[in-house]
Amino acid sequence: MAKELPIVPTATPGSLAEISAASSWREYRPEIQEPGKVNPKVLFFCPEGALFHEEGIIAVDLSVCKGCGICAVESDGIVMVPEYTGVLGIFGVKEGSK
Amino acid sequence: MIDKINLEQLPQEDLFGPGNVGCKGCAAAIAGRQAMKVLRERTMITIPASCMATLGGNNRRTTWKIPFYHTLFECAPAVSSGIRAALEVQGIKNVNVVSWGGDAGSADIGFQALSGAAERNEDIFHVCYDNEMYMNTGGQTGSQTPKTALTSNAFLGKPTNKKNMLAIMEVHGIGYVASASIAFPADLMAKLKKAASRKGFSYIHILAPCFRGWGIPSDQTVEFARRAVYCGLWELYEVEDGIRKRTVEPQLIPVKDYIFPQKRFSKISAEEINRLQQQVDDYYGKVGK
Amino acid sequence: MSKVLMTGSEAAALGAKLSKIEVLSYYPITPAFPAMERLSKYIEDGELNCKFIRAESDHSALAAVLGASLAGARSYTVTNSQGLLYMTEVAYHVAGLRQSVVMGVANRALSAPHSRFPEHGDAVSQGANGWIQIFSENNQDILDNTIQAFRIAEELRTPVMVNYEGYIQSHTQEEVEAPSAEKVAAFLPLKRMPVMDINNPQGVNTVTSPDFYMDYKFRQNEALEKALTVIPQVSEDYKKEFGRDSRGLLEAYRMEDVEHAIVAMGSIVSTARLLVDNLRSQGKKIGLVKLRVWRPFPGKELYENLKNVKYVTVLDKNIVFGVGGALATDIKAAFYGRTEMVINSCIIGLGGAKSGVAEIKQAVDSTEDCSESKNSSVWIGL
Repeated sequence: MAKELPIVPTATPGSLAEISAASSWREYRPEIQEPGKVNPKVLFFCPEGALFHEEGIIAVDLSVCKGCGICAVESDGIVMVPEYTGVLGIFGVKEGSK
Repeated sequence: MIDKINLEQLPQEDLFGPGNVGCKGCAAAIAGRQAMKVLRERTMITIPASCMATLGGNNRRTTWKIPFYHTLFECAPAVSSGIRAALEVQGIKNVNVVSWGGDAGSADIGFQALSGAAERNEDIFHVCYDNEMYMNTGGQTGSQTPKTALTSNAFLGKPTNKKNMLAIMEVHGIGYVASASIAFPADLMAKLKKAASRKGFSYIHILAPCFRGWGIPSDQTVEFARRAVYCGLWELYEVEDGIRKRTVEPQLIPVKDYIFPQKRFSKISAEEINRLQQQVDDYYGKVGK
Repeated sequence: MSKVLMTGSEAAALGAKLSKIEVLSYYPITPAFPAMERLSKYIEDGELNCKFIRAESDHSALAAVLGASLAGARSYTVTNSQGLLYMTEVAYHVAGLRQSVVMGVANRALSAPHSRFPEHGDAVSQGANGWIQIFSENNQDILDNTIQAFRIAEELRTPVMVNYEGYIQSHTQEEVEAPSAEKVAAFLPLKRMPVMDINNPQGVNTVTSPDFYMDYKFRQNEALEKALTVIPQVSEDYKKEFGRDSRGLLEAYRMEDVEHAIVAMGSIVSTARLLVDNLRSQGKKIGLVKLRVWRPFPGKELYENLKNVKYVTVLDKNIVFGVGGALATDIKAAFYGRTEMVINSCIIGLGGAKSGVAEIKQAVDSTEDCSESKNSSVWIGL
């Protein structure tokens, strides 16, 4: 039996983030070390929309961040830190990865 | 005048972005996010074959929160023309109808439909996000690839010049043409907002570096978009109803600071660098200030 | 209803006008252009409330019509030959996105060598693209088929091509009975099915994995199979409403008690009728099956009509190189293992080559001459 699918091949809006595994590509993750120094303009340089602000404080949503490092280059107060603390072998597990 | 965009007052919600499957540091995604901050919900977008068309969704899921259609390669502006006609016939107003192509889907295989829609002065606008190579197929040469750049099918570098799309679109006699850069979001957003507010056809050409194709680290995507502007090779300007205006004054850093760190220019000659620098000096000496 | 003299182009344009198309796009080509010009005149004269997109190419014309359909408008285009080939990529897209687009095709030979004369090569080139294909014998058929095409397309969410031949129909006047606009409006109530909808945003045509692609294709094919029952129903409804019988998938003409049957589609059917009448009057047991619908292929219905005959002469105004006539090939495939009859594929009338009563007679004779091979093929009129 063929799957039940919509007649027209269509996709549900905004639903991709729910299943995206792209954050697992990350080798480094941004850490906001000095929130006061972060340039708010950096919000517009993130390809993922992973940066957001709450009451003026900028934070990172690691569920969508791929770790490109643009935010750390474009703003003070953000530093890229390695995802892995141990030696990552072929079957290694990332510490702290989702 | 470019309307001022206050970056801090823009909505937080992304209508494009989270979960996209673009490479990390993808400038196409940056451009898309910036655009949707100002175009908002009442926008319909058609995107021909390109990274941007494929990274926005798969199977039953998409990152887009507006009507989005991944069109065939040649015809996004024609599809958008049809969408606008259908909206008009149904009396549906205040909708931005956009076609958004890469450099191939705009300047090369997509050029016929783009030129046609511009000549008809369709009430839509087209955005070309230009990474200067055919990156969706692995990085081959196209008309927007600059001279001497190495690509996956030009190991000796491209022998001919980049086609000037902005000039070509300007002579279509359309009301609004503008260049933009992902490194200057306020400028980019103001231009998109203007294109959206105008009746008739507008064209916006965004320089959107591809770190893979250009041979730079992924975190340098925005930096090199900025250097392209600051060295004078990618001028930010707009032509509105025939009036040309530069919107960002370049600092005129040396061209080599933009060129040399990019691996794609690793075979560029000293003469070519000098020629580019001379070209910039002449241009800004004559037209500038 | 009064009869009016009109060309096939005018009948196609009138059919689209009566169907109240809302968006039109086309790129001029011969011999489809008179239908295009007529539609543009209807719009400019204010007789038809429709947006016209003056596309810069055939590819863009169908793309624009597709965009309009996705955004909820009843949409139409006309083309032929090279224009249809150039549209091919979009034609597959329209079908895959299940859009109810209707297209008139003024069938013309394909280049090279260059020819602007009638045959079915252009339609046949699209035989795998997922569109329903209806063929018109005369100008009345063109009008009736165009109106019915919208009903079929919208019910099945599958695009429909209405074929009529260049010059023989597009540029030739015949008497046509035109139904009233009110009755057509009642026959074709507008049900909008927008996919690009600002109030219900969706991503259309995202990258599809192997898990999904095949299932979509299965559903698409299912709709084509369903067309085999929907088309006769629509034809029946049309007959009730307008009094003219379009005969569903096919028409059996003088097929009572026959030994030999001609199978044909398009304008050559009328010529074949003359030959059948003529031979019948001489006592020959010959009949004719007019195939109205080529895609989906009504193999079962054809077999029901032909199962008792000894000879089948298939008139193919097309050639699939290295294979033979498309219609005969389909018939042979559909009849495989069920029959002992001779099925003769007659390539006839390519690029406007003469295909009158004499040529059809020659085809019929060749079928009875070749009984040593039950699967034969001849070229008529070289």
